[in-house]
Parts: sequence; C-alpha cells; structure tokens
Amino acid sequence: MKYDVIVIGAGPAGTTFARITAEKGMNVLVLDKRKELGEPVRCAEGLGRREVDIQGLILPKEVISTDIKGSRIVSPSGHELIWEDEEATGWVLERKMFDRWLAELAVEKGARIRTYTRVLDLIKENGKIKGVIASHQGEESYEIEADLVVSAEGMESIIARKAGFKTFSALSEVDTCYQYEMQPYNHRNLIELYLGNEIAKRGYVWVFPKGKNKANVGIGIGGHLTNAVKGGSLKGADPKILLDKFIKQSPELKDSSTLQDFGGVISVGAPIDEFVADNFMVIGTAARQVDPIHGGGIARSMEAARIAAGVAAEAKKKNDYSKKTLSEYEKIWRKGPGKILEKRLLFRKVLEKFSDADLDYIIKNITQEDLKDVMAGNFFRPVMKLLKGNPGLLKVLGALIS
Amino acid sequence: MIKINHEKCVLCIGCASVCPFGAIELQGTRMKVNPEKCKNCGMCIRVCPADAISYAEEEKTKKEKAEAKE
Repeated sequence: MKYDVIVIGAGPAGTTFARITAEKGMNVLVLDKRKELGEPVRCAEGLGRREVDIQGLILPKEVISTDIKGSRIVSPSGHELIWEDEEATGWVLERKMFDRWLAELAVEKGARIRTYTRVLDLIKENGKIKGVIASHQGEESYEIEADLVVSAEGMESIIARKAGFKTFSALSEVDTCYQYEMQPYNHRNLIELYLGNEIAKRGYVWVFPKGKNKANVGIGIGGHLTNAVKGGSLKGADPKILLDKFIKQSPELKDSSTLQDFGGVISVGAPIDEFVADNFMVIGTAARQVDPIHGGGIARSMEAARIAAGVAAEAKKKNDYSKKTLSEYEKIWRKGPGKILEKRLLFRKVLEKFSDADLDYIIKNITQEDLKDVMAGNFFRPVMKLLKGNPGLLKVLGALIS
Repeated sequence: MIKINHEKCVLCIGCASVCPFGAIELQGTRMKVNPEKCKNCGMCIRVCPADAISYAEEEKTKKEKAEAKE
C-alpha cells in the first residue's frame, strides 16, 4: 500500500502533523521506534498556552500536571523578578500522557501509527525519495512507499541526515541537562529559573512545579563547557554534580526525595539551513526549531508541524511534492517563528556573557514589562534603561541594539 | 571505541544527537554503539549528562591498574 505521507517520529511534531494532514484528507502513516509512545520522558514538560490555543486544542485533565501562572527569575545573589500575566501562563504536563493524547487525536482523524518500528533508510529511485525501509521489532525489513517523507525525529534526526540535511549540532549549540522529579516542594505555580555562572555555566537551574507539591528540578549547561582535559582522559560535563550542589544548598529542596532521574541534551542553537527537499520535510526539534533560551521544543514543534501540514495538504492537491512547492513551509516559518527565534538566539548569546554581578544588577533593575519586551525581541527600551543606570553594561548589551 | 555504562545511562539520547558519525542509536531500551562508525572523537563523552560514557581502553587500563595493585 502506498501512503501520501510517512512521518518518522510520534512526538508532538509528528502527531500534530499527522492529525492536521489526516484531517485534510491525506493518507498518513506515522512510524516510531519506541515500544511505548511518550517514553522515556526527557524534558522539563513545560508548555505555554499560545500554540495550543491557535490549534484549538483543549488539554484534558490527565495530561496536565499543574497550571503555570508565571515565571520567577532569581539572580546569583537572590534578587528576584516575577512575571505573572496571561502571556506567561501555561502548563507543566504529564508529558507521557500528553504525547499519547496527541497520538490518539491523530488516529481519530484517520492517521495510522505504528510503534516499535524503526526506519532504517529511505527508498530512492534515481535519487528521488519514494518511501522508507522500516523494521518492526528489529525483524526483517520491508519497504513502504509514500509521496512525502517527513522527519519529526527529534534531536537524533538520523534519517534527515541520510536525506542530506545537516542536522548535526555542535557542542556549543547544545545544553546538556540533568533533572530530578522531587517531592515535597511547595510551589507557587511559577516556573522558577536560577541564573549564575557558579550555579550553571551557560545555562540555569530550573524548578518547574508539578502536581500539588512536587517539582521537576533540573540543570542545563553548555555542551562545550566540559571538564575535558586536553590530551588526557575525557570527563563529561556532569551537570548532575552542579545540580546536586544546588539542591544541597536549597533550604526548600535539600531534604526532599527524588522520584525519577532524567537526562537530556537540548538544542540552544540556530535552526538547520534548509527544511525541505523534493519529497522530504524536516519539522520540529529535528530541524532545531527550538527556543534557544530555554530549549523548549514542544510548542515550537507543534507550530512548525501546523505550518508544514498546511503546505503538505496543498502539495497533495497539486500532486506536486517538489522542493519548490514544499519550500512554502520554510518561507512561512522563517518569516514568522524564525524571526523571533533569531532574536532570542542573539539574546541567548548576550546572556551567556553576563557576569554574576551583571545578572544581579539587571534582575534587580528590570520590571515585568521590560522582560516582556526582551522576550518579544524588542530590546531597545529595556537596554537603554539599563545602560542609563550602568553604562558599563554597554560592552555586553551593545550587541542587542546595534 | 567508547563504552556506555547502561547502569548509569538515563536514555536521554544526547550522545546520539551530537555524534558526528551517527554511530550511536537507541535500540529497544539501550543505547548501542556501532563500532564500524565510531571514530573515538569523544563528543558523546563530553555531552553525557549522566557521566555514563567512557573510552573502553581507559576502563581497561583502570582495571589493569587495580589488578596490578592486588
């Protein structure tokens, strides 16, 4: 049987793409190498409400661990900035349940999903992609034909690489992360971020509220900032050591239990150079459509999937899956979300140059309104305000207003 | 050749994401290294959040040293 589209990966990008294209009448097959969707969880499970609202989705109770009312950012010496408004709201998810729910929605719309099915390679005829070679449960491989293959593979993105995309991330473009689910922690429904070069080099410690009195407590640090000894033995960055140190020093967490350990590597770099080829698209984290400040990928993945699905449905109408037709997705993405992520990448690069004293000064002196502007990429007003009080910051902040 | 300590591994797939040679993959519930593709560059070791990857040779040397002590 031939499909209109085969999607590789049943994470939020893949299942969102499948749901929308199936709804538009496409014949969709999603393949996922995992035995069980949503496992293993390897993220902080935060999701803002914007993209969910755009897609008209209503999250059922079982996928929500707790509501988020805002954020709290803490400087190295303990100054705090709280951002609490509609824009800062969202959820901490039960990620496993969330992925499963998105998959079920796609199936309800007519998509077909196959778990424990690894895509080994692409079928190519005279250089043209015609489908995939897959294997269920590691058994004998078989071919499945399709007009369009979509990589929603996440960070590894092996098949996208086979299709010629440069989905490889340099160490400086990733953060390596460790996280515990902890209890008890009396949270205030705020996403909490602790900044500082001592706390987490090129990164931060996060405390995300979970359930009634639990939290995902994690750390991310620059992948290039490792303890590697030149010419000697390599030693990992070991974010776990820094996280344990943070927890030991936290009066609210030091005596809490850990319920689960998680690890992860997140992209904090730029999206890949190209998202489409003839009969092929790359969406979500595979394309590094990830927020470069916090590494969050769920909302951005769903957003890219929505845009790509619209373009794929048009391609089916025209029966034309050429790069030219599919590149409409790339155009729309780069003009919209891409512009925002570019500004946020610039901000991330400035952020990592701050000394602890800079961070203390800035967090002490900016307001919720300033922070909103910064997050939206409107740097000028907040930067001028900071420079007025502390002209020495020009060296690091200059890049934002030049 | 690198070696993954499966006791320590938290299956985050970070190693596979940074491997320039596509030599590491999740297979079932374990990360597996393809010895034909691995070039010993150590990117995975540096990025592993769980300190679960090392050079197999190093492990061997450590073991030999320990044995020599005994």
